[in-house]
Amino acid sequence: MWIALVITHGLLAFLLLGAITHQVVSAWAPVRAGATNFVDRFRAVGSAHYVNAVIVLYLITATMGGILYTNYRITSRLMMEMGHYWKSVGAFEIKEHLIAIGLALLPAYWYFWQPSSDAGDLRTRKFLTTLLAFIIWWAFLAGHVANNIRGIGT
Amino acid sequence: MSARSRFAVFSVTFAAVYAAVYYFAVYYNWPLFSYGPQTGQWLALDHSASAGPTMYWYGWIATAAIAAAAVALVACSLPGNPGKRLWSGFAWLVPVCSIAAIVYMLSGYFTR
Repeated sequence: MWIALVITHGLLAFLLLGAITHQVVSAWAPVRAGATNFVDRFRAVGSAHYVNAVIVLYLITATMGGILYTNYRITSRLMMEMGHYWKSVGAFEIKEHLIAIGLALLPAYWYFWQPSSDAGDLRTRKFLTTLLAFIIWWAFLAGHVANNIRGIGT
Repeated sequence: MSARSRFAVFSVTFAAVYAAVYYFAVYYNWPLFSYGPQTGQWLALDHSASAGPTMYWYGWIATAAIAAAAVALVACSLPGNPGKRLWSGFAWLVPVCSIAAIVYMLSGYFTR
């Protein structure tokens, strides 16, 4: 059960990573005219369409991570401590706090992605999306490294 | 004030207060409840599980969420238009400061 859960958690995290990365790139460097190459097409996505998907994926992935965390705490974490993998343990500790703080950003993230022409709102939208992208990237990488050291359920 | 403006005030206040309270909840260990993953025990506040490690993470989130929701509800209920006085950048700036403080708090893991 734990292995199925960690694989599903990883797959959802991967979808979330893709969605937020598309969005943050297109928010900072939108393509106005027709996209002609791969990079332009990557930037040309309709960022606003990703908002609900990002929120739903974040909530589901964080909930699954919250369940997996109980198993991590009594298996993988102890093994990592015994092996003195302190940097990986620390990165995972930071991940749990980032995810918790990211949860509180979601209402504002949703609000500031609603149509607006106010320059302050647009700036806040960019910074909130960038912060959320940083959180998701850190969580993905720290979780991946921890799973490589000692996978849950193995 | 319109429902849209009220939600703007609520969401910005919630993000900022949650991030600040979360940091203090972690630093001073103020969980609303604790969990012992080895024993399956749920305990009020910061009581340790009878065996194995105790997890406070869920409790810290609950502490911060309740405090932030209460403050945000008060803020968006204020008369007039508090949204005009509230800088929307607090929604990301306070969380960034909170994250920096947490990383500093955990820096010992990277200097061992």
